[in-house]
Amino acid sequence: MTNAPTGLPPRARLALALQRAVGFALSPLTTLAAAVLLRLWLGLRFEGIGELRRAFRRFRRSSDAPLLVCGNHLTMIDSALIAYALGSPAWYVLHFKSLPWNVPDRNNFAAKPWQRALTYVYKCLPIERGGSREQVAGALARFTHLLRRGEVGLIFPEGGRSRSGRVELENAAYGVGRIVKSVPGCRVLCVYLRGDAQHQYSAVPARGDTLRARIAWLEPKSDQSGVRGSLDIARQIVSRLAELEREHFHAVA
Amino acid sequence: MSQEEIFEQVVKILTPYVKNQEALDAVGMSTHILDELKVNSARLVDVVLEFEDAFDIEIADEDVDSVETVGNAVELIASKLG
Repeated sequence: MTNAPTGLPPRARLALALQRAVGFALSPLTTLAAAVLLRLWLGLRFEGIGELRRAFRRFRRSSDAPLLVCGNHLTMIDSALIAYALGSPAWYVLHFKSLPWNVPDRNNFAAKPWQRALTYVYKCLPIERGGSREQVAGALARFTHLLRRGEVGLIFPEGGRSRSGRVELENAAYGVGRIVKSVPGCRVLCVYLRGDAQHQYSAVPARGDTLRARIAWLEPKSDQSGVRGSLDIARQIVSRLAELEREHFHAVA
Repeated sequence: MSQEEIFEQVVKILTPYVKNQEALDAVGMSTHILDELKVNSARLVDVVLEFEDAFDIEIADEDVDSVETVGNAVELIASKLG
């Protein structure tokens, strides 16, 4: 964690602190509700989840470096799936900082008041895809502020759900590289998560599906500067996800 | 390089990314790149990289935030060219 000034206006910092406090107060309920929905309603099984959670816990115990979780993106509930794969509801209540913040699309996830309420308590900062540069920059500033404060962030470096069903290097979103570059010492945890029945992108995984995860740690750096450097870093992250995908298919073949 | 020349080059670079041909026909300094020309926001970074190559300049991440209109791009490039 760094205490360096993040340039975020006091009002925005206060708003984030309030959102975090409300989220924390409701976390015994919200984290449990999410787990019940994933495990009982959707009937999902997570293969090797114990090992994954131990690795995440080990890192969080041993380091207070800013951490950005980067996942492949195949369903609309991937943020919840990845968060659940990395920690149990009880652990998140005790280590609320480790429950990742994420930046869902406002039109899909925060268009209605009840959706806005839900995203608020689940540590989301809705962002309008294709919105004005000023709005996008503001959302990025809030997100990087949180990372610098030792909170965990979660983002999908392909920008949206993969239309081919596979990790798409050409879709590496440069904003991810920009976030990593602007947070000194930022570590990246690449998480590749896929259900056995997940042949292409969908809204949610198939009921009763078994999900398998692979992870890799990265501290991406680039010799290039400016926009080119950010894109380089984003591509390194997506390339690592593509490698994890190859390992996944090799293992399940 | 004059502002007119930069403008022409900027429009030439933007053209393959433009989804609204009508707006392109009437393009001016105040034309909004995303809202009017309907350039996909995800492709904006490709446009910026083409600006860098074409004008032999380097554009910082923060500079990208200031580019909303064709005029913003022209002014940014002109400032980099000094």
